[in-house]
Amino acid sequence: MLTIDRLQVRYGNKTALLVDRPLEIGAGDRIGVIGSNGAGKTTLLKAVLGLVPYHGRIRTKLRPEDISVHMQQNHYVGTMPVKHIISAILNTDVKTDKKLRGLIDFFEFSGCMDKKYPALSGGQKQRLTIILVLYQDAPLTFFDEVTSGLDFETRQKLMEKMRAWYAGKESAVMIVSHYYDELERLADKLLILDHGRVAAFGKTDELFRRYCGRAVVTIPANEKNRALTAHIKTVAAPAHLLAFPCADETDEAHLASLFIRENIDYRRSGTDIEILYSNVLSGGGAL
Amino acid sequence: MKKLTLRFVGYELRNAVGNWFSVFFGVAFPILMSLLISKAFAGEMPAESVPAFETGVFISMSLVVPMATLLIGYAANYSQELEKEVPLRLRLFGCPEGVLLGAKMIANLIFVTAALAVYTAADILLLRIEPPAAGSALLLVFSIYLLALILFVLAHGVATLFGRFGPTYAVTMTLYFGFMIICGLMGVPVERLPAGVQAAANVLPMTYIGNDFAGFWQGGSYDFGPLVLSFAILGAISFAILLLGLWKRRRRKIS
Repeated sequence: MLTIDRLQVRYGNKTALLVDRPLEIGAGDRIGVIGSNGAGKTTLLKAVLGLVPYHGRIRTKLRPEDISVHMQQNHYVGTMPVKHIISAILNTDVKTDKKLRGLIDFFEFSGCMDKKYPALSGGQKQRLTIILVLYQDAPLTFFDEVTSGLDFETRQKLMEKMRAWYAGKESAVMIVSHYYDELERLADKLLILDHGRVAAFGKTDELFRRYCGRAVVTIPANEKNRALTAHIKTVAAPAHLLAFPCADETDEAHLASLFIRENIDYRRSGTDIEILYSNVLSGGGAL
Repeated sequence: MKKLTLRFVGYELRNAVGNWFSVFFGVAFPILMSLLISKAFAGEMPAESVPAFETGVFISMSLVVPMATLLIGYAANYSQELEKEVPLRLRLFGCPEGVLLGAKMIANLIFVTAALAVYTAADILLLRIEPPAAGSALLLVFSIYLLALILFVLAHGVATLFGRFGPTYAVTMTLYFGFMIICGLMGVPVERLPAGVQAAANVLPMTYIGNDFAGFWQGGSYDFGPLVLSFAILGAISFAILLLGLWKRRRRKIS
């Protein structure tokens, strides 16, 4: 569907993004893009959309109208109710278009149609753009930090709505996010960027096995737990956690029984993106 | 890619009407100005001269409608859109620059038409305006529309060039009041301005419309050469500024 090859974006003397191996986006892909601020996530999207000059190749048979995007910042005029904005952009009648009515109801937006854009809340503003983007039913859609600035509950609801919307659809989706739980729910592939370079790209479960093993068991990182597990192999984890890789069921059972016996809260995961991300960036390489 | 539709024109028309800069400066302001100038000076002149004077005021203040609507109202509105990247957002929804430009132009010409209708109706009610010769009235209308088109291009170009409200508003406000002063629309006749300023006034169509059209309002002959030349010069400058703005904001396409 779309291949990015030897892509380089420079801002002045600084290389903001360098993709030195081909990245392919296929039909039905759900790709989560993750990286710290300045890692090149938004730059990648802007390059694909032709919004920044770049060197290299972005090969696709998609026409510009086959790609839709929810940018990090989406603004509209504040001079009229949003129903007129929706009608003009989608060139449709907001009252009679069933597909649009379905989306408006699905995202619980009907009460906002007579409001002007500046009067909408943060979550309502995000939903407006999501409705406009999803109506397009584009073969490839980018979401750039859709939920940034939203409270936890709104974020959860929005993600659940989007997950339900895309369930069973063949459209490819690339979603940039700082929230690991969003990517765990929406993405089955991961693109990890670090300082403008591709640190890892592939299916989430395959990357997890490569960098963390079959599963990882995590416990709180306190002195007692450190002392208890000093002899057990760990992998990289956020500062508040200790993470132990498990190559097989026996490893898992051994750790679980230890933590049950010692009355320690533990969590087991085979897809934890936060742990995966930590290990990709730790520089330790694959297990 | 989306095409120019009635919905887009309606959207841009709502955008213009919802912009208080255009409503105040383009509709209310010229009526207030024509009323103020007429009442301030008409009392000092013989009664038989008042209709000709007020007709002159009506013609010259009619220029305020396109100048204020486009140079102040439209430029302010569009520069705020650019600042918030609204045109980029629409472009990403498949609305090409040309479609947006066309819709904005048509919508703003409709707005100018409505503003001129309100202005004319108000001035007919409030002032004593001499009945025009048909050709003169048509010529005034044609000139105002041509001027509106050129000022639209200029306002769009300046806003596109700067991309931000602050500098755009500073430049277009300066242009607006500069044009008003040097074209003799603020009460000081062009002949009393310094020679250099007069030279600038001579390449602006507002100078000829505001000062000369009253002379053949009820018929007569007029040399249109300088007016046509001034339209060509202002049009060329405005178009060049628009091209410069578009060139500055060009983007690289997907290969």
